Amino acid sequence: MSILKLENISYHYDKGKVEVLDNLNMDFDEGKIYTIVGKSGAGKTTLLSVLSSLAAPTGGKIFLNDKDITKIDRYKFRSKYVGVIFQSFNLLTHLTALENVILSMDISGKKFDRPKKEIALELLKKVGLDEDESRRRVLKLSGGQQQRVAIARALSYDPDIILADEPTGNLDGETQDEIIGIFRMLADEGKCVIIVTHSPDVAKASDITYELKKPSKAS
Amino acid sequence: MYILKNAVKSITRNKLRNILIGVIVLIISVSACVSLSIREAAEVAKEGTLSNLQVTGTISFNRQKAMEEMKKDTSSSSSSSSSNKTDKSKFDFDILQGSSLKLSDYMKYTKALKSGDSYYYSGAVSLNATGSILPYGTSEDDDDSSSSKSDSSNNGFMQPPGDFGDNNSQSNTPSRQPFQVNQGDFSITGYSSYKAMLSMFGDDGSYKITKGKMFDEESDALECIISNELATYNSLKVGDTIKLSNPEYEKETYKLKIVGIYKNSDSSSEENNRFRMNDPANNIYMNYNALSKIISKSAKANNKTTDSDGNKTSAKLTQNLAFTYTFKSVDNYNAFAKKVYKLGLSDKYSVNSSDLQQYENSLLPLNTLSNTAIWFFLIVLAVGGIILITLNIFNLRERKYEVGVLTAIGMKKAKVALQFVTEIFIVTFIALIIGTSIGAAVSVPVTNTLLSSQIQSSQSTGDSVKENFGFKPDDNNSSSNKPDFGGPMSSMFGQSKAQNYVDSVSSATNLFVIMELILVGLFLTIIASLAALISIMRYEPLKILSNRT
Repeated sequence: MSILKLENISYHYDKGKVEVLDNLNMDFDEGKIYTIVGKSGAGKTTLLSVLSSLAAPTGGKIFLNDKDITKIDRYKFRSKYVGVIFQSFNLLTHLTALENVILSMDISGKKFDRPKKEIALELLKKVGLDEDESRRRVLKLSGGQQQRVAIARALSYDPDIILADEPTGNLDGETQDEIIGIFRMLADEGKCVIIVTHSPDVAKASDITYELKKPSKAS
Repeated sequence: MYILKNAVKSITRNKLRNILIGVIVLIISVSACVSLSIREAAEVAKEGTLSNLQVTGTISFNRQKAMEEMKKDTSSSSSSSSSNKTDKSKFDFDILQGSSLKLSDYMKYTKALKSGDSYYYSGAVSLNATGSILPYGTSEDDDDSSSSKSDSSNNGFMQPPGDFGDNNSQSNTPSRQPFQVNQGDFSITGYSSYKAMLSMFGDDGSYKITKGKMFDEESDALECIISNELATYNSLKVGDTIKLSNPEYEKETYKLKIVGIYKNSDSSSEENNRFRMNDPANNIYMNYNALSKIISKSAKANNKTTDSDGNKTSAKLTQNLAFTYTFKSVDNYNAFAKKVYKLGLSDKYSVNSSDLQQYENSLLPLNTLSNTAIWFFLIVLAVGGIILITLNIFNLRERKYEVGVLTAIGMKKAKVALQFVTEIFIVTFIALIIGTSIGAAVSVPVTNTLLSSQIQSSQSTGDSVKENFGFKPDDNNSSSNKPDFGGPMSSMFGQSKAQNYVDSVSSATNLFVIMELILVGLFLTIIASLAALISIMRYEPLKILSNRT
C-alpha cells in the first residue's frame, strides 16, 4: 500500500486555460526517495503545492493511506502529516533556529514524550547544527545552515512524508551531498521523501524519478 | 498557549512599533479616564445629593400657559371685534381668579403626598395702624400720618410706582378686587407651624427672640411677636396689646397681644423696600390659627365699601396664602407632581420646587463640563481609533510574510489572527492600565481646575447681564432670606439667592469608570485588530510565499 497516491490529478490556475498538471497518476511509498524532475514551467512547484495541500487540485484525487485528503483539514494535513521544505526555506527570520523548530512542533498540536526543546536541539544536531548555531537568529545563518533548519523544522513533528522543493538549489556541492545524505537517512528510517528538483545529481541519488512534461494548451 | 507565548515574543521583538501603539492608547485612555471621571463626578454629585435632598414644592399658577390657552380660545371662538374687550376682562379675571388656590384645595392635594412627606403653610394679611401705634419708618415719609389714611381712602390697593394703567377702569371690574393685595401698614403673617416659620426665616440665626417668648404653635389666641425696631419705635413691650384695622374698612379692628419681641440682625441694611409693609420691621408674626380667626371674623363682619361710582364691594380681609409641601425625596416630589393633576388640579397650575431648581442650577457648570468632556472623549476615541487602524494596516503589510509562513506550516488562519489580536490586546491593556492610573491621579485636580474656569465663565455671563441690566442675576441681595409676600423687586429676574455652584469634586474615578475604560480598551482592540483579522482571512499562504520568492 502506497502512503500517498495521486489519481488523475489536474491543476490549472484560475485565469489561465493551460492545464499546468494534466491527469497525473503517481504512487509514493514509505522508505523511498522520489524525485520529480522537469524543465522550468513543467509544473514541479505546482505539484509540490498540491501535494502539500497548499493548493487544491482542480481535478482528480489524492489519497493519504487510502484516505482522500480533501476529507482532512488542509492545515492539519500540513502541520501533521507532511513536512515541507521550501525552496526559499520560509523560515521566520527574526526567530532563532531553535524557535523556528519549536514553533512548528507547537503548531502541529502533537504530544511529545520529551521536552520540545530537547527534541528540537537533537534534530538540529542531526542535520548538522550545533547548539550555538541553533540559538542564533536565522538571519545570521548561512544558506546551507538555513536549509538545515528548514529540514529540521519539517522533521520536528515526525511526519511520514517529507516534501522538498529544490533543497539543494542554493548550496555548494559539498553541502548538497550532505543534504542528500540526510534525505537518505530519513528514507532509511522509513519516511517517504519527495524531492522536486532539476538537479541530475539529486535525481541520480533517488530511488524513483518522475518526469513532468511541459503542459500543452487545453482545448 | 503557544499563541500567547508567540504574541509576547512578537511584542518584545517589535518594541518601537508597540511603544507607538501604546503611546496612542495611553493618550486615549488618559483623556477617556478624565472625561469619564468628570461625567461620573457630575452623576455622583447629582445622585448623591439628590437622594439625600429634602425637597420643598409649591403649586403655582402658570400664568403664561393660561394666557396662551386664553388666546387660543379667544382667537378660535369668536371673530367679532366687539367681543374683544369683554374677552379681555374675562381674560384678566380668569388669570387672576385662577391664580389663587384655597387652603382646602391645597389640603386636598396633600393626599398625593407619600409617607415621610409633609406640608406647612402660612397666610399673610395686611393691616393698618390705628391710633397709638405707628408703622416703623413713618418718620422718613413727609406725609406719614396721612399716609395710612390715604392708603385706606384708596382702599389700600397696592399702587405700583409709575403709571400702570387707568385706576378707574380697574375699579370698573369689581371682580378683580379680591385679588388685589391690600397694602396696609403691617404685614401679619400666620404660620401653620414653627417649621413653616423656620423655612421662611432661614435657619441662619438672623432672627432671634430677644424678649418674651414665641407665640404658641397651636392656640388661636390673638398673640403675636413684633420686631424690636417696631417695639422701640412705639415704646411697646411684651404683654402690651396693639390695635390694627382692616385697611379697607377702618372700623373693623383687631387686638393683638404681644408675647415676644424678635430681632432681625439683617434688617438694618434694608433699603430696597419702599413700601412700609415690606419693611421687615413692620412684619408681625403669629400662628395660622390666630390669623385664620382674624380672617373669619372679617368675613363674618362682611363690611362693604362703596367706591366713587357707588358700587359696593366687600371689604373683607383676604389672605395671601403660601402653601409648601415638603418631600422626603426627589422621587416623592416627582410622584406628587404627577399625582396632583389626577386629584383634579387644573393644568394651568404647575408644581415647582425652588430648591430643586436651585440645586440643578448649582450643577450647571459641572454638567456643562461633563457634556464637553464626553464630546472631547468621543473625538479622541475616534481619532485614536483611526490612527490605530492605520498603524495596524501598515504593521500587517510588514508581517505578511510571517502570516504566509505560519499558515504554510499549518497554523490555522484563525489562530494567526488570534495571535495578532492578542498582541494588540496586551499592548492596549498595558497602556490602558498606565493611562487609567495617570488619569485617575489627575482627574480630580483636572476636573476641579476645569470646573473653576467653567464657573468663572458662568459668572462672567452674570457680569454681562450686569452690563445690560445694571445688576447681576445672582447678586446676593440682602432680602434673600426674608419672608417675602409680593415684594416688587423679588424674583423679578429669576433667583434672588446667590447661586452656589458645585465647585469641586472629591473623587472621580470609580469602579464604574474603570469598567467603562475596559470597554474602551476592548473597543480599541477590536477596532485596531479588525484590519488585521480581515487581511489575514484574505491571505493565501501560497500567494504570499510565491510573491516573496
